[in-house]
Amino acid sequence: MAKITIPLGPQHPALKEPGNFLLTLEGESIVGATIRLGYNHRGIEKACEQRNFLQDIYLLERVCGICSHSHTTCYLGAVEEIAKLEVPKRGLAIRVLVAELERLHSHLLWLGVAGHEIGFDTLFMYAWRDREHIMDCLEMVTGNRVNYAINTVGGVRRDVTPEMKDKILKTLTVVEERANYYVELATQEVTVLARCKDVGRLPNDEAVRRCAVGPLARASGVASDVRKDDPYLLYGELDFKVITSDRCDVLGRVEVRALELFESIKILRQVLNGLPEGPIAVKAPRKVPAGEAVSRYEAPRGEDIHYVRSSGGEKPDRVKVRAPTLANWASMAYMLEGGYLADVPLVIAAIDPCFSCTDRAIAVRGDGQSGSLDWDSLRRYAREFHRSRGVDFSNVPGRV
Amino acid sequence: MEEQTRKKLEERFGADVSNFVIPRPRRMFVDVPREKLVDVARFVRQDLGITHLSTITGLDAGEKMEMLYHFSTPGLCLTLRVRLPVDDPKVPTITGVYLNAESYERETMDLLGTKVEGLPPGRRYPLPDDWPVGDHPLRKTWKKAA
Repeated sequence: MAKITIPLGPQHPALKEPGNFLLTLEGESIVGATIRLGYNHRGIEKACEQRNFLQDIYLLERVCGICSHSHTTCYLGAVEEIAKLEVPKRGLAIRVLVAELERLHSHLLWLGVAGHEIGFDTLFMYAWRDREHIMDCLEMVTGNRVNYAINTVGGVRRDVTPEMKDKILKTLTVVEERANYYVELATQEVTVLARCKDVGRLPNDEAVRRCAVGPLARASGVASDVRKDDPYLLYGELDFKVITSDRCDVLGRVEVRALELFESIKILRQVLNGLPEGPIAVKAPRKVPAGEAVSRYEAPRGEDIHYVRSSGGEKPDRVKVRAPTLANWASMAYMLEGGYLADVPLVIAAIDPCFSCTDRAIAVRGDGQSGSLDWDSLRRYAREFHRSRGVDFSNVPGRV
Repeated sequence: MEEQTRKKLEERFGADVSNFVIPRPRRMFVDVPREKLVDVARFVRQDLGITHLSTITGLDAGEKMEMLYHFSTPGLCLTLRVRLPVDDPKVPTITGVYLNAESYERETMDLLGTKVEGLPPGRRYPLPDDWPVGDHPLRKTWKKAA
C-alpha cells in the first residue's frame, strides 16, 4: 500500500493548542511521526531577565493556565535558596494546600478532556462539574480561580481561616466519593476500556530511555515523583503513596490519575488538620545575592524544573523553565507510531498537554445595558434557566 | 550520596572534572570540558545509573557561554557545567547517550546560538522558520529589532 504523509495541526479541531504532527500513514496505520513545536513561544525567559524577582512571579504564573502555582512555587524554591530565606512552616503548608488542590482540579480537568476525546461526553460534564468544587476552594483560599497569585518571595500572601478549612474538608468528602466513581469507571466501564486499552503504548524501558515524567512515566511502571525523590515544601513529612501502573497504555494513564486523586485528598487532610501556627511569610529583600540554584517540583503533569541565577541585583541573570509537557514530547512519536490515525487525539491528550481555561461572564443585553455577573449569580441564573425548562439540578448526586 | 558521586567522578576522570559545588543536600554542580562531555555523560548514565536528563540550560555569562546539563535520580540532582568561548560555542551532542537531549539542545542553538555538533537532521525549535539567521534572543548583547 502506498504511504501518504499528512499534517495534523498547527491548527486542528482535535488539538487544543498549536502543535504540528507530520504523520506518515499506511492506510489507517501510522508508520512515522515527526513533531514540530514552538508556535506558542512567548519569550518568557528573556522577559524574566528584564523584570525584578517579584515581578517574575506574576510572569511565570502565566506560563501555564492550569499549573500556574507549580511554576511560581518552583521558581521561588530556587530564589529562596539563593537568598537563603527560610519560609515559615505555615507558609509552606499553604503552598502545599494550593498545590494539591491544583493537582485535583488538573486531574479532573484531564479526565473530562479524555472523556471528550473518546466520545464519552457525559464523563466530560461530570468531571468538570466536580472540578468546580475544587475551583471554588481555590478561589476562596487565594481569591482567584486560575492564576492564584498566592505566592510571594518569602512565603504566601493570604492566610487560611478555620472557616476555609471546614469548607475544604467538606468539599473533599464529596470529591472523594466522586473519585471512587471515577476509579470504577476507569477500571470497569466498557467504553473506556474499549477505547483506551492498548492504545498509545509506551513500554517501561522506552519511558526510561525517553525520560518521560509524571503520570505518563508512572503509568509505564516508573515510580518517579519529585515529591518523594527530591522532597520540597513539606512533602518529606507527609504520608502519601506514589501511584504506578504496569499497563503502559492510555488506560494506565487514566488509572494513575484517578488513583492520584485519593493521594492528593489524603495530603490535603493531613495539611489542613495539622496546619502549623505562626506567620505565613518572612520579609524579603528586593536584591537577591549572587548565586544559582536548581529547583524541581512535581506539577500535575510531572517534573517541572527551574534554574535561576542571580548576579546580586534586583533582576535575575537567567531564569530557565522546563515544563513537564516538553519532557513528554520525546515519547510522543514512539506512542503514535504503530497506532491508528483515529487514536491520535487521544494519545496526544493522554500526556495532558497544557491549555488555558477562562472565567466569568459579561452579560451584554440588546438594549445597550451591560454588566458583569459574579459566579454565584451566574450559577443562580443557570439553575433558574434550566428549572424553567423542566430540569431540576438540585437532587443531582455530588452537590456540595 | 553527593560525596559518593563526587568520589566516583574524581576516580574515573581525575583533573577533567573540577569545581565541585554542593550548595545543599541533593544538589551538585561540576565543571566538565567539552571534549569530555560525552564520556562523562555516558559514565553518569551507565556507571552512576542516573538515567533521567531533566533539561539543559544554556546561558550567556559574558566572557563565556555555559551549558548546564541537569541529571536527576532519587536523592540527587547533578548538574554538569560546560563553559564555551563566545566566539566558538561548539559542543558535542549527547543525544547518543540521552535520547531526549535533542529538543533541549536545539533550544540552546536557537535562543543562544550554540553550535551543537552531531545532531541528526531535524526541524528547528522553538523559533519560527523565518527568524533571521544569527539572531539569538538570549544573548546579553541581543537587541530587539526595531
